[in-house]
Amino acid sequence: MSLVIRFKNFLDETGNIARFTGRFFSVGIKPRYEHKEFFNQCYIIGYRSLPLVGLTAFIMGLVLTMQLRPSLVDYGVESQLPVMVGLAIVREIGPVITALIFAGKIGSSIGAELGSMKVTEQIDAMTVSGIKPFKYLVATRVLATTLMLPLLTILGDAISLFGAYLGVNIRSVTSFDLFFLQVFKSLDFSDVLPAITKTLFFGFAVGIVGCYKGFNSTKGTQGVGISANSAVVLSSVLIFIIDLLAVQITELLGLN
Amino acid sequence: MGNQKVNNIKLGAFVLSGLVLMIFAFFIIGRNNNIFGNDFKLKVRFSNLNGLTKGNNVLFSGLQAGTVKEIELINDSTIEVTMQINSKVKSFINKNAVAAVGTEGLMGNKVVNISPVKGMSQKVAEGDLLQAKNMANMDEIIEKLAQTNNNVASISEVLKGTVLRIDSSAILKLINDESIGISLKSSLENIYKMTSNANKMTIGLNHLVNDIKKGKGTAGLLLTDTLVAGTLKDAVVQIRAASVNANSMTLQLNKMVKDLSHDLSNGKGPINTLLKDSLMAKNISFTMENLQKGTDGFNQNMEALKHNFLFRGYFRKLERQKKEQQAELLKATQQR
Repeated sequence: MSLVIRFKNFLDETGNIARFTGRFFSVGIKPRYEHKEFFNQCYIIGYRSLPLVGLTAFIMGLVLTMQLRPSLVDYGVESQLPVMVGLAIVREIGPVITALIFAGKIGSSIGAELGSMKVTEQIDAMTVSGIKPFKYLVATRVLATTLMLPLLTILGDAISLFGAYLGVNIRSVTSFDLFFLQVFKSLDFSDVLPAITKTLFFGFAVGIVGCYKGFNSTKGTQGVGISANSAVVLSSVLIFIIDLLAVQITELLGLN
Repeated sequence: MGNQKVNNIKLGAFVLSGLVLMIFAFFIIGRNNNIFGNDFKLKVRFSNLNGLTKGNNVLFSGLQAGTVKEIELINDSTIEVTMQINSKVKSFINKNAVAAVGTEGLMGNKVVNISPVKGMSQKVAEGDLLQAKNMANMDEIIEKLAQTNNNVASISEVLKGTVLRIDSSAILKLINDESIGISLKSSLENIYKMTSNANKMTIGLNHLVNDIKKGKGTAGLLLTDTLVAGTLKDAVVQIRAASVNANSMTLQLNKMVKDLSHDLSNGKGPINTLLKDSLMAKNISFTMENLQKGTDGFNQNMEALKHNFLFRGYFRKLERQKKEQQAELLKATQQR
């Protein structure tokens, strides 16, 4: 494949995803809503991801604290460790790590699930039986990921900060009150709101990419694997691109 | 559908906990920023903010009391800072309180420090303008410090020279010399002995003086005896009379000498003849020679007479009388 063809394919793919997204906004948002399936997906996507997100967030908070500590000690500002860790977790580490874990777990499962449904012609069967597959399968999942990822991020941040508190207490002693006060004294709405807003986009990106890859899966069982894999890869890359855009936009708005 | 319901409950708990955490965080941050607080505002005008910005903390006696709400440039040398003050703290701030721009720690954020001033005053009201105290900023301090440093450097340079000179001076050698110390010690000991002796001496003198006062001893007698004093007085009177006599005598002598000298110079009287007549002097000298010769011859005759047996007895008798006279004289002196 020459570079031109690859570039054309890339553009084709991008266009298809854009169309798919447009279809979500045109079809998915209109009634009637599939409440039951939406809550079911929320349970699967949100609640079932919490242990994994919680574990990674806890470890991340603890490790980040212990890694930052020596350089802060070098500068003699060890007391500012909670401030630094708190800001890092709330502004960047929490949302991105949570979104990446989320992409790994949910993006792949959505891609594989929808892909196998597509391959086994279940989606076609749904169309025949009068259920709109896009509404039932895609809209519910995308909405669920979009709304669940911010919640997971907030919970993950909390667990991460607790891990950071333990991390501070490994080498020195800080009361929980002081740690809490220090973290929240440094935090402002300009730290929290952009961070939570961008997780909405992360969640949306994970959901839409997973659904698109699954929905357009081909070539039998092999295609299911490919669509699951590419869903994770693409959504992870998109998370970083959105993160980059988010930081630029907050900078432009003067919220940084 | 039991399983579905359990799942929904779990989901509800999950969503609720997330939302509660989010609202809690927002509330804490909002409280830190005084968003939900009351709208009590105080103002202060500074000439220099040193980098104070909107949202910086306001401390009252070091206690978190609010935040900087607004900063407005009024003219080229006045900046008005509007501060939002906590409801808990506002009732403690007096109208005469002083506000100053400070720094959290050495390099931290800027803060507005409101400090109370002694003395009675009313409590602040909404929108009151507090007095501003302009603090020295870091640059000024560093500038001052640089001057001080220069001064210290020059002083230390001078001090160095002085110390070097002292180090090489003789006084230090003297101080370092151990023998001097030892001799100093011994001389000090001597001084100590001396002073103790002097002490003893003064005590003795004291006794002596006391004795004299009481009239003991010769000196005492001498000083205290009134009879002696009377005699002394008489003696002095007599001495005075004698001196008066002596005076008159010397006057007379003087007169006599004058007369004599007058006679001498005028060539009158026998003395003049005696002194001035050279012929007579020759004669006299001649006569004297003859006399000497005559006495020599007489001497020889007398010696011859002594040895003559007729006169020997008489001369012996003379000698014996002379010896007895001497012995008596000796006896008299010994008895005295």
